[in-house]
Amino acid sequence: MDKVFNGKIWKFGNDIDTDTIIPGKRGTIPTIEEMKKYAFELLKPEFGSTVQPGDILVAGTNFGCGSSREQAATVLSHNGVRCIIAKSFARIFFRNAFNSGILLLTCDGIQDVCEGGDIVTVDVDAQTVSVNGKSFKVGAVPENLFNIVSNGGLIEDTKARMAAGLKKTEITPLTKEQCYKSGYTLAEKLLKRNAGKEHVQPGDIVITKPDMFMIHDIYTPYLLDTLEKMGATEIDDPDKVTIIFDHCMPTAVAKNDSAHYDAGLEIARRYGVKKLHIGEGICHTIMHEAGYAKPGEISTATDSHTTTYGGAGNFCSGIGTAEMAAALITGELWFKVPTAIKIVLNGHFKNGIMSKDVILRVLGDIKADGGQYKSMEFTGPAAHEMSMEQRFTVANMALEAGAKCGLFEADEKTAEYYGIPLSEIDWIRVDEDAHYERVLTYDVSELEPQLSCPQGVDNVHPIHEVLGTKIDEVYLGSCTNGSIEDLEVAANIVKGKQVAPGMRFVVVPATNTVFKQAIERGYIKTFIEAGAVISHPCCGLCCGMPYGLMTDDERILLTANRNFIGRQGTKKTLSYLSSPAVAAATAIAGVITDPRA
Amino acid sequence: MSTFIEAVLGGAAGSVVTIEPDVVVMNDGVSHAAVDEIGSVAYPEKVYVVYDHDVPTGRPEAAAILRKNLLFAQKYGCHYVQAKGIGYLYLLHEVVKPGQIVVGGGSHASIFGANGVLGINVSVPELARLVETGRFSTVVPETVCVNLKGALPESASAMDAAFAFLRKNREALQKKALEVYAPSLTQHEKEVFLSIVGSTGAYTASIRSTAADDALSFDLSSVVPMVMLPCDERKNQKNASFAEKATVAGTVLHAGQIGGYTGGTIEDLRLAASLLKGKKLALGFRLSICPATSADYIQACEEGLITQFIDYGAQINAAGDHSEIVQGAGAMGANEVLLTTGLYTYTGAMGVPSATIYSASVQSVALASVSKEI
Repeated sequence: MDKVFNGKIWKFGNDIDTDTIIPGKRGTIPTIEEMKKYAFELLKPEFGSTVQPGDILVAGTNFGCGSSREQAATVLSHNGVRCIIAKSFARIFFRNAFNSGILLLTCDGIQDVCEGGDIVTVDVDAQTVSVNGKSFKVGAVPENLFNIVSNGGLIEDTKARMAAGLKKTEITPLTKEQCYKSGYTLAEKLLKRNAGKEHVQPGDIVITKPDMFMIHDIYTPYLLDTLEKMGATEIDDPDKVTIIFDHCMPTAVAKNDSAHYDAGLEIARRYGVKKLHIGEGICHTIMHEAGYAKPGEISTATDSHTTTYGGAGNFCSGIGTAEMAAALITGELWFKVPTAIKIVLNGHFKNGIMSKDVILRVLGDIKADGGQYKSMEFTGPAAHEMSMEQRFTVANMALEAGAKCGLFEADEKTAEYYGIPLSEIDWIRVDEDAHYERVLTYDVSELEPQLSCPQGVDNVHPIHEVLGTKIDEVYLGSCTNGSIEDLEVAANIVKGKQVAPGMRFVVVPATNTVFKQAIERGYIKTFIEAGAVISHPCCGLCCGMPYGLMTDDERILLTANRNFIGRQGTKKTLSYLSSPAVAAATAIAGVITDPRA
Repeated sequence: MSTFIEAVLGGAAGSVVTIEPDVVVMNDGVSHAAVDEIGSVAYPEKVYVVYDHDVPTGRPEAAAILRKNLLFAQKYGCHYVQAKGIGYLYLLHEVVKPGQIVVGGGSHASIFGANGVLGINVSVPELARLVETGRFSTVVPETVCVNLKGALPESASAMDAAFAFLRKNREALQKKALEVYAPSLTQHEKEVFLSIVGSTGAYTASIRSTAADDALSFDLSSVVPMVMLPCDERKNQKNASFAEKATVAGTVLHAGQIGGYTGGTIEDLRLAASLLKGKKLALGFRLSICPATSADYIQACEEGLITQFIDYGAQINAAGDHSEIVQGAGAMGANEVLLTTGLYTYTGAMGVPSATIYSASVQSVALASVSKEI
């Protein structure tokens, strides 16, 4: 790749999410060559048919936020995009783009002087971009990442490493006693333990050996394809791998989903993976429910909401499929030690207030890029008051602020959930002398229900500002709020009542375990009697799959984690996010309703 | 002496009668198209707008249909039924009474005959006119009777019986009202039998309480497991061929569906659960369980059946009619083969055109989930 080159500009704004780059409903098209035609189809429908090799994207802040889908990068790469200039990039997209052979440059200023169609000149060594007679400085590109781009992406890079004979990194994890050393954030403690480093600081690159790799079915065809392209005949440790069929199972998108199902089975067969969960529920819930993601360990998965298990003090962050393929082969994964934000939660939860309200309030305050590349670490009495399920909700949505992870301390509840002695994990605690770049403090006693309003997760409003808004459908489920506790809260609100006339109420337990518990406790009966329909545990409408899709001008309220444009229907569908309590009260009333009323 | 349909319609075979049906049904499957043509509603209290097909909505287009139907029902004060499961069964068990007339835009209104209700299928334009005027004119059809002799062997079901009966007698039923004497069939088996035999060209079907003198005769004890074979287009579904299951035995399958009014009732779910007990779902076989109604779903939960299906590895669909899926749970992919208790085997009925669909009984689908073949 030349270090000086020109390209025609396509201009974008702030917070371009991966759903905008490639809509979730296109995410299961089996081939990238077919999928790439739909890049930016909602925002710039002409893009797919007119973009030219060498074109350059110029955008504002937080480009590539949202889902971890690697296809957001690969559709751009396959459309010939080789460089993106933005004020900032979302974390997973950043990794995915380099792995796909796209050079990312951070620049604040060029956005004000260029338009689509202008020609920009990039000089990598000089760290400048120039357009319309003006030049701007851009951030430096680490040599190893430029080499991946130069080699044409991670696949070629990995092939080269394999050809040279894989050299395993020798790591001796820290002992438990070494983990007690004070002065570190939770992320630092967890990373340095696994990496065998007595000291780390933000910005350090550490090589880890994750304890569990999770693959879900939306990426199985691409992962299988990538493993084949890399020439992998075996992987490092099949016992450390879990494959979960949840996005495309039950098979629902006829022309796509069976290919994902078949590819998942083939990966398991070919590489000896025994931990298979086919249609048993949502991957992130299974990961902690089955004890795959444990406190003090490191997990990674091909999904952005991998942050979920941080609720148990597990360092977990999503990666793309190419990176997963490389990591499965090597058993290793690099992380940049993140800076951290401490979020102190004081007070006590009142009836009708849930942890979802806490994380939505935080997201409303720090916005979708407020946690970019950072570890969001939750402490304080209200954090410990939360059940494990409530903590997983918060950690799950930390990603929506762009965070690398969302972590909780380990306590008695953590130990009980995993059936391990607290003394084994009590080093997972926030040190008073650790360095946090920012501290946020909330009194949950003063919190009212919060809602993410159309169309962005960080467009958060307290419920009194949106009370009475008519809603056409309520969706209760997802890895954010599909737990047995969530269903219990909702069931108690709807019991003996009927949903509003014409209201569609869809309930999807997070996993089979939750489903069976809900049957046993009578919640499923309660929901059906109230007028709900029950779908089998899966990711469902949360990720835009066909479990209650909406039409133009309809409004849906979900307990899920994203309300991006078009995700739950058309680009004119309006999506709200809330707690299960608000969702249940709204299903009964037909308008946004305060569950405390 | 009048036949059932002559008595209910009030005219002899061959005469023209104009009636005012007691219940008129539209749903989100096909008959919603009538809503586009209706400018007024004569008797809103008789009109039921049912949401029972695309549950939950699998496409924005489906949501638009629901919105249209809901606004229509609200505008004219019609009944709007949702989250109750399959409309046929909900109406059959919760709404209609013996001697009443139900008219809808589907293909299986003959199911109402199991309860002494006259069920008639009409075209979309006829349905629209009926809703506007409250009246419906028809020529009273001739009646054909059949005596079902003997009892089904344990290896065969009412669905097999219907398929076997139609294989021999379909032509004799065209545009006729069928009266069935079936003393050995349970109420549920009668519903299954009638829902099927009325969908291949007959005007309607009903149950009679005594054997008929001048009647076809069909021996239930000779019934063997059957399949309905794939067919080309939806409009030709009523001409789909039937065959003994043995003729297609060994066909490799990818998925099975147990659901609908021919597979998703509590009786069917109990049977499926008993057959699957102690068995293991074949790796690579996807089994969908689709309770027919919300009442069936709740009952199956309380009897532990849903939990058993979950542990078996099945996927539990929302209560409703999932026998035709454009996009939604249970959709079939390229070159896959499905065995279903549903009654649609036309190309593309359950997903992509290259998927192949066979229809068979609960027993056949349950067994296939273990062996991964017919």
